[in-house]
This record gives sequence, structure tokens and C-alpha cells, in this order.
Amino acid sequence: MAADAAVASGVESIAQQTATKAPGSRGLLGWLWSAGLMLTLAFLVLYPVAMLLLGALTNTNPVVDGFGVFDLSVQNFSEVLANPNVHAALINSLVACTGGTALAVIIGLTFSWVVVRTDTPGKGFIAAASMLPLFVPPLVAAVAWSILASPKTGLLNILLNTVGIEWRFNAYTMTGLIVIFGIYYAPYVYMFTASALRNMDPSLEEAAEVSGASAVRTMFTVTFPLIAPAILSGMLLSFIVMLGIYGIPAVLGTPGDIAVLTTYIFKLTAWSPPLYNTAAAVAIILMVVTGFLVWLQHKITSRRSYTTVAGKAFRPAQLKLGPWRYVTLALAIVYLLVVVVLPTLALIVAAFRRFLFIRDLASLFDMRQYGLLHFERLFANPLALRSIWNTMEVGLITAIVGGVVAFAIGYTINRTTLPMRKSIDVISTLPVAIPGLVIGVAYLWAWIGLPGGLYGTIWILALAFIARFMPDTVKALSTSLLQIHRELEEAAWICGKGLLGTIRSIVLPLARPGVIAAMTLLFILAIRELGSSLFLYTSNSMVMAVLLLDYYEGGNLGITAAFSIVQMILLAVLISVANLLSRGGSGDSSGVGRAG
Amino acid sequence: MKKILGAGVVAAALAIAGATAVSAQTEYASKELIDAANKEGKLVLYTANFTEPEQENIKEFNKKFPGIKIEMLRAPGGQLITRVKTEAAAGKLNADIVDHSDRGDMLVMKDMFMDYAPPNAADYLPDAQVAPNLWPRVTLVWAIAYNPALVKNPPKSWADLTKPEYGNKQIGQVFAPAGGTTWTRVMFERKILGEDYWPKQAATKPALFPSGAPLSDALVRGEVAIAPLLYNVIYTKQRDGAPVEIFFGPEGAPAIPYSTGIPKTAKNPNAAKLYMNWCMSKEGQAFMIQTQGNLTSLKTPPVYPKNFDSKVVKVWLPKFDEFESLRKDWVEDWNKIYGHRQ
Repeated sequence: MAADAAVASGVESIAQQTATKAPGSRGLLGWLWSAGLMLTLAFLVLYPVAMLLLGALTNTNPVVDGFGVFDLSVQNFSEVLANPNVHAALINSLVACTGGTALAVIIGLTFSWVVVRTDTPGKGFIAAASMLPLFVPPLVAAVAWSILASPKTGLLNILLNTVGIEWRFNAYTMTGLIVIFGIYYAPYVYMFTASALRNMDPSLEEAAEVSGASAVRTMFTVTFPLIAPAILSGMLLSFIVMLGIYGIPAVLGTPGDIAVLTTYIFKLTAWSPPLYNTAAAVAIILMVVTGFLVWLQHKITSRRSYTTVAGKAFRPAQLKLGPWRYVTLALAIVYLLVVVVLPTLALIVAAFRRFLFIRDLASLFDMRQYGLLHFERLFANPLALRSIWNTMEVGLITAIVGGVVAFAIGYTINRTTLPMRKSIDVISTLPVAIPGLVIGVAYLWAWIGLPGGLYGTIWILALAFIARFMPDTVKALSTSLLQIHRELEEAAWICGKGLLGTIRSIVLPLARPGVIAAMTLLFILAIRELGSSLFLYTSNSMVMAVLLLDYYEGGNLGITAAFSIVQMILLAVLISVANLLSRGGSGDSSGVGRAG
Repeated sequence: MKKILGAGVVAAALAIAGATAVSAQTEYASKELIDAANKEGKLVLYTANFTEPEQENIKEFNKKFPGIKIEMLRAPGGQLITRVKTEAAAGKLNADIVDHSDRGDMLVMKDMFMDYAPPNAADYLPDAQVAPNLWPRVTLVWAIAYNPALVKNPPKSWADLTKPEYGNKQIGQVFAPAGGTTWTRVMFERKILGEDYWPKQAATKPALFPSGAPLSDALVRGEVAIAPLLYNVIYTKQRDGAPVEIFFGPEGAPAIPYSTGIPKTAKNPNAAKLYMNWCMSKEGQAFMIQTQGNLTSLKTPPVYPKNFDSKVVKVWLPKFDEFESLRKDWVEDWNKIYGHRQ
């Protein structure tokens, strides 16, 4: 009871810390700044979304048929809404993503807690393991798991058969989809919750414990409620990303005849003749579902204040787990095994083996079947190297330009009283609700007609990625901005710093890990992005994700696996560099709190 | 008027090709064309053909013409058409050659292409063309493949694919609405193998796939044991040592001529013509037949693909008007019979 009271008062005292906004932000400069942001958003988001809506409401291609020649009608919508296959796909999508998100939250939250708040050995290793699935593009993860857990030919099933067990793994089921979604999208939850846990003032937990609450009780009544925005952000993001993923349901759902909205949309766009307008109408359904979730998240997080980084130095307390710390370590090892080691082994087998027909264990270890054939073929294709170079270039442009735009938006929304910031918030969140497969064609329609040489360059891809992942980046940045206590900025204002000076000397240094994490996320998302690339790349600007799909669609599983390994290694190297950057310069990276 | 003009230009082109044959560097290109193509130095190819075989074609072409760099953009049928139409409407069509498997989709855009005919135009089957400026650069053919390690009593004909012993998802099929190539096979089944073929075949409960290439991979891995497949998709795997056997059903081999043209807006028209001429030449067609398992729309094939006995197997080309008029209703029927949700 006493513990409850302590918890309640702790949370309440935080809730009472109402935010104050930056001074003097409603002048002419403020208006100009907001107008500039709105114009940027209009170009990046509103214009393509308008094209998408136009597509859904007509049966024309606005570029081909001209803007004047279309009849607005809701026929596409009524057809789509009456189609029982769309209903089935929608239900499958919701079931798979809900189940996947639940699993992702359990895994992500568990590991972030283990890494930040316990004395489990090998935490650096666990932290790395928790992020590793992010390097794996969905198509690659699905291909790896189809090699491992296909009911007929899966390597795991060959093992079971060898030891005489009748039971079989089957990745081609709804459970298979949920598990793969859950384990691969847990890093989204981990990313948000780990940084929130790290930045949390432990005095509240200490208060709860002093008041007699057990560790578990403290965790559920103080710790998790305090990092609720981070949990919600991670949860929402992982759900939405799953909803828009094509690779996993395409590879694992298709053999089991489990259609989801993305695979349905892809079918509509790939058929001859393609049904883009119907696809756009199906996409609107996806937008409505995700739009509702975004609204829900706003509603929940706006009720409380979640400031946890104040102007005091602290070091988050670590729970002594005793012998249990080996259990948590074992959990991490199992996770690493399931999510990285086994799939990587499967990919290595597929990449080095001439053909993937494996009858039994002896055949798996028949070394005559292995060689470098697929790698040789891959690098004999001049497009492979070019796509790697292009992808790196696009990723870098997207991360830097997108990071700056997202910081500008995130700061304006969260820390100022500038005009139009509510609209800026809503518009910058819009792209979250639009699946990449359909927004790709909307970008093409919207931007191909622009004067100048944008089309055909990698800049058009970068712009599409910046727009598409703006919500993810703004959300990631907002989480770290929300955690910086107002008192730090106020101190700077009192000392005579202006708004920009405060951002430069206070906000940016404090939010730097968050900014670099957001840019890294943007970089990874850009490198993996397939849907919106499909229509914007040209023979000059081929990117890895498109070439990877090309190889998969071409039935070249060996080359697909070889290319996947190359891509994973590249990503791992780049992320290690980003990690070094985010730590370097801060002097002490041990997690000691940020002094004001 | 336009048609007459077009035919005139074709005839003139043929005459020029014939007249300069003596002085030409090769039988499919004059010295002038080769010089002009080399001066352009590159071309952009938009194709629905798979990346790997097309890269082989490019590599072979570059052995003869190393000065011409070919940039390829490969996309599935529907996406390729949308891109071509949109780029063209915006005045930004990048392609010097557009190459597509669905002749119906290309016919709609025929006015976008320049009058072009290869030097050996007269050697081609007129039925394989839908317009005088669109050419069957690639011709594909359906075969039946199986994994001999999994099938003890292999099928020997299309009719065998209805046998109950191959039930329980042993057979893999590409579903009918997947595109022009699959529609050709499906149309062949109903027209040649009979009205009851689909219901009997559907009763074996085949595993349905969205396209042929992943199905070929599933066959090699042993996910399915038997599959009708485009010959070029599975032959290249057999060529590289995959454990598969392939045969052509004696009832007929449905063939798909591609439709390929050079846009009027091509920035590198000479390089495009040179590549087209080589692909359309006997030499180019023979290369594609022998290395990739294609067929050809030449009246007299220079060679047949491995496993293809022209005395036993008859090539089946769909009539283009039926290809267009029957498609929607028959695909709907197919979806119903096979329980495929669309």
C-alpha cells in the first residue's frame, strides 16, 4: 500500500511538471519558419498523397491522362469494400501484426530491461544481439526462415527427421508469420525502450523500493509506466512497419495461401494490366487503420508528461539478479540463435550451395555441393556493384537531409509555440499510414512532371525515403527531445542565449545520441526500402533492395542469399561506424546522467 | 495512311538492308549502323525478361560490340507498363528499347514506337507480331519439369498432370492472372486439352504460385515435385546441374512471343537498332535457344532447344484476337475452378 502511494506520488509529481515553451517564437521569423516547414511538407507529403487519393477515386493515370480528364467516383472503394478477399486480407493483416507486435513488445522490453537495468553478464553482447535483426531485410529474413522451417524441406525439419521426431516446424502458417514478425521487429521496441530506461531518473524506483515494493512490482508500477511513451512509440512503429511489409508475407504467406493487404496490393500492381487505382483504394484502407492507431497514440501520450531527464546527475540503478542473471543471459543467447545465427547459417548454406535440394543430414554436409558459384555470378553482374554504391549514396543523403528535416520538425512540434505546429505534426505523421508499394507510384505521378532533372537521379529516391520515413524519424527524435527537461533550456535562456543558441549549446548535445540513432534508423530503413524504390529507380540508379527482389523473383535463391550476406555485412560495418560516432566526443559514455 | 507509310518505311529498310548486305560488316548490321551505334556508345533497355538471361545476352552482344554499354531496367509486366506510360506522358521516357511479354499491353502503345524492322524481317512468322513495328525479340515456351528424386513414376504428358497420384500439392502451378505468359498456358489447356482439363487438374489440389521463377526454385528445392514451367526458367537451372528433368508435353508446347520496339524518343536509336538486329538475327536467336532454352518465332528455327523434338511436339501459338477477347472471362473461370482468390 505504501509502495502504491509512493509510486502514485512519483508519477504525479512528474505529471505536474507542465511544459513551458520557448520565448518570443511568434514573431515574423516564427511565421516564416513554420511556412517553410509547411511548404517542405506540402511538397514531400501532401502533393503525393493527393495523387494517391486521386488515383483511388479515379480510373486514370493522372500523368498519362492529364489532370482534367477524370471522373471522380467512389467505385474503386465500393468494389474493394465489397470484395470478400479484401476482408480476408485485412483480417489476416491485423491478426499477424497484432500477434507480431505483442511478441515484439515482450522481446524488446525484456532485453532493454536486461541490458540497462540488470547485472546480467555480457550486456554489450546482448545489446548488439537485440539490434541485429534490424540489419536483416524482411525478404532476406523470410527467405532464410523458409529454408529453415518449410514443412517439406526445412533444414530444422531434416534435423527433426534425423533424430526421429515426428513433429514438424511450419513457417507457412499464421503462427509462423506472427513469430517471424515478432522476432524481427522487436528491435523497434528495444530501441525506444532501452534509451528511455537509460535516461530515466532512478530516484522514483528507489522511492518505490524504499517504500517496500518488490523489484517486479516496481518494474510494473513505476518503470514501465514511466517509459510508456517509448513503449507505445516502439509498439506503434513496429505494428505499422509490419503492416506495410511485403517480403515476409510474400515468402511465408503465399505457400500457405495467407494473403495480407500488402501481398494483395502487390498482386494488383504486378498484374497485366496493373490495377493501380484499385491498389490505391486498398491502400486507403491501410491508411485508415494506421491513421486510427496514430491518433490513439497521440491521445494516450498527450495526457501525461514524460520528462525523465532532469538537470541532475544520476546513474540508473542495476538490479542484482543473483543466479537468475545466467537465465537472462541464456534467454539472450537463445534469441540470438533464433534470430541471427540460424537464419545466417541457412543463408550461408543457400549462398554457397549450388542447389538447395537437401534430402538428409549427410547431403547437407556433402562438401562437393558447395562453392562460390553464386557470389561469382552476383559480381559478374555490373548492376550489383552499382546498386551497392547507389544504395550507400541514397542512404547517406536520406539520413543527413532527413535527419535535419526531422529535427527541425520534431523541435518545432515539441519545444516551441510556433504557429501551425499542430498541422505540421499531423502532416509529418501522414506517410506512416501509406504502404510503400502504393506511395511509390504516387511519387512517380507527383514528381516526374517537375521541371529539372530530378527524375532519373538518386535524389528522387532520397526524397521519397525522407518523406516516407519522416514519421519514424520524427517519432524517434521526439522521444529523446521529450526527455530533456525544460529547466535546461530555461537555464540557457536566463543566461541570455537565443533560441538557436539554446538548440546548439543545450538541445543538440543532449539529444545527440537520439539524433544519431534516428539518422541511423533512417539510413537502415532507406537501405532496405523496396516499395517506393520500385517506380523511382532507373537504369542509372538501381538500388540493392530492387536487385535483391529481382534475383528472388528470378528464382535465383542462391544469388539472393549471397547478395543478402553482402548486404548484411555492409550494414553491420556501417552501423558500427555510426555507433562509434554516437559515442565519440561525448567523453564519458558510461551512462552517467546528463548534467545541466 | 500511317500504316501505309509505316509499311513503306519497313520495305525501304529491308531494301536498304539487302542492298548493303555485301558491304556490311555483318549480315545483320551495316558498317554505317555499327559506326553510328558505337558513336552513341550506350543504350537503355527496359525489359520484362529476367535479369540473368538478359545479362547473358548483353555479355554475348558485347563480345562483338564492346563499345556499346547496355543499361538494363528490369521490372515485372504490370510495373513496367505503368512506368513506360508515365515516363512517356511526362516526356521523360528513358528507354531506347522496350521489351515486354504481354503483346496486348504493347499493342495499346504501338504509336509510341518508331518504324523499325530487322534485316531478316521476312524470316519471321507474321502471327508472332501484333504490329509492324513490334518484334518477337524473345520467344518463350512452356514445358513440364519434375524433381526425379521425388517422383518415382514421372508424368509424360499434360494429361498426366490430372492424375490423382500427383495430388496433395505435389504439383505447383502459376496462377492464371499472373500475366500474359501464364494466360497463354491456361488458354492452351482449355482449348487443346479440353473443357474438363481444369476441373480435373484442380482436383489434384496443386500449390499455386504468383510467378514461374520462384516456382522453379521450389521445384529444385523439393517444395513441389512437378511443375509446368517456362522452359528458360528451369532449363538454365538444369544446365547448371540442378536435379530436375524436363520434357515437352506431346499435346503441344504453348509459346509466347515477346513484343519489342524502339521508342520514337530513343536517345540512342542506332545502338538500339544494332542490339535489336543482333537479337533478331539467326545468330542471336540461336544463342538464346542454346544457352537459355528459348524458342524462336523464325519460320525456320536455326536450332531447337535441348529436349525439344520438333517431330513429336508441336508449337502452339495463341490467336491474338482470342488471346485478348477470351482473357477476362476465362481467367475468372480459372480462378473459380482452382479456388484462387483474386
